[in-house]
Amino acid sequence: MNLDALTRTSGEWLRGTGPESDIVICSRIRLARNLADFPFTNRASDAEKTEIERVCRSAMDKAGLELDYQSLVNLGPLDRQLLVERQLVSRELSNGDGPRGVAIGPRENMSVMINEEDHLRIQVMNSGFSLPDVWEQINDLDDRLEEQLHYAFNPQLGYLTACPTNVGTGIRVGVMLHLPALANTKQIEKVFRALHKINLAVRGLYGEGTQADGDFYQISNQQTLGKSERELIRNLSDVIPQIISYERQARQEWIGQRRQHLHDQVSRAYGVLKTAHTISSSETMHLLSSVRMGINLGLIDDLEIRTVNELFIHTQPAHLQKIQGESLEVDERNIARAGYIRRRLLDGRHEDESADE
Amino acid sequence: MTCQRCSREASVHLSETVDGTRRELHLCGPCARKAGLAPPDPPPNAALEAIVDHLIVQHVGELVGELARASCPLCGQTFMEFRTGGRLGCPNDYEAFARGLLPLVRAAHGASRHVGKSPRRRTPPGKSPGLRLRARLREAIAREDYELAATLRDQLRQEDADR
Repeated sequence: MNLDALTRTSGEWLRGTGPESDIVICSRIRLARNLADFPFTNRASDAEKTEIERVCRSAMDKAGLELDYQSLVNLGPLDRQLLVERQLVSRELSNGDGPRGVAIGPRENMSVMINEEDHLRIQVMNSGFSLPDVWEQINDLDDRLEEQLHYAFNPQLGYLTACPTNVGTGIRVGVMLHLPALANTKQIEKVFRALHKINLAVRGLYGEGTQADGDFYQISNQQTLGKSERELIRNLSDVIPQIISYERQARQEWIGQRRQHLHDQVSRAYGVLKTAHTISSSETMHLLSSVRMGINLGLIDDLEIRTVNELFIHTQPAHLQKIQGESLEVDERNIARAGYIRRRLLDGRHEDESADE
Repeated sequence: MTCQRCSREASVHLSETVDGTRRELHLCGPCARKAGLAPPDPPPNAALEAIVDHLIVQHVGELVGELARASCPLCGQTFMEFRTGGRLGCPNDYEAFARGLLPLVRAAHGASRHVGKSPRRRTPPGKSPGLRLRARLREAIAREDYELAATLRDQLRQEDADR
């Protein structure tokens, strides 16, 4: 697999299409699975992990899955970080040790991590609010793998996982939302408290413990046992439209009451991004968030949402360094980031088009 | 003397004098920790093992009797290791630690029975021949019994081929 090529393309889930894609960036489901015949990853020897990797890779081949396998052993920290920024592997897999890797689908909407906390972590991710489609795809993928593999399963407790918090369905159903107006009015805290009460977790762009930079929030289930996959998907599917409507309402109030003010904020954000010569990652996320909302409210009309979605990912540290082709210190990264954003915004194009030329 | 908050034996005794009034507090270890009162540190010359046990109890709470010493015959992990690290060692741990684990599972999920998708092929984890053979293989290697290890490897290969 050519990792350098990744910086010239972007994942399908960043297209900015699909239902409610002004607010829902992507819908994602992951399944935790383990092989019945092996100890869990944390207790497996390197020889056993090699065997687990071999068994899983052979199953993916026999199932005829079009996945590209990338081992994380002998992959430098920059490349591993690139895969994390891309949402293709977890930080845990990246920082782990011993034989481990990830199989990636052609449009990056499918990935299977091997030897993470569980032997297999299967993930499917689509642009927009489309959990039922995602479930259909991942369920099919899981069925095809199951024909080749012998999963650890117990009729009472379901799929057995290394951590009992995932036991049962092993499913994590999540949507990534862009909520700048709720964040601005501080109503977001209220929304989160309500979500916690119904057992839903809220995380930042890069998962547990990361800050909600760019006003991105991932909302997902915590319960995995005692409800079916479809019920858990339905629970989330019932709640998300309410959050979307709160966000829309907050945006309308904002634009209704302080239109000039909001237009000014959006235009200045766009202006700074188009002209800055050095910019931090955190300021970039903050300004891109304003620009993204500005496009959705019709305040900016010469920029595609997809370009903005891509910029959130491509301005992350490892992406920038891969694009520049060298390792950079923080100051150098800030200069490179500003240059990259200027080029992309003045072109007004997304990466796939420029790569085709 | 019994704890003033539950019926266990009190091990933390505290007295304080506020505005001339003397107050006494007698609590058991767990209640004292809940109240934010750390029990006194063990004497510095105590055996290392006791200090480690003390630290574990301080961080993960006390485990009663045999459960604290329970270990999985197939992967060797103890229940105590699970409580400190948060990860189980193999699928069989769900059976080996059922008594300690099920209350935790129920607390985390509000349920104790799986509903939803099931794989078509199922072998109860304790009966998985691969898991058992691998456990014996690890033991054989640890004992440097390479003859047995070779036999077990052959059996594993046979298992794999049969599938």
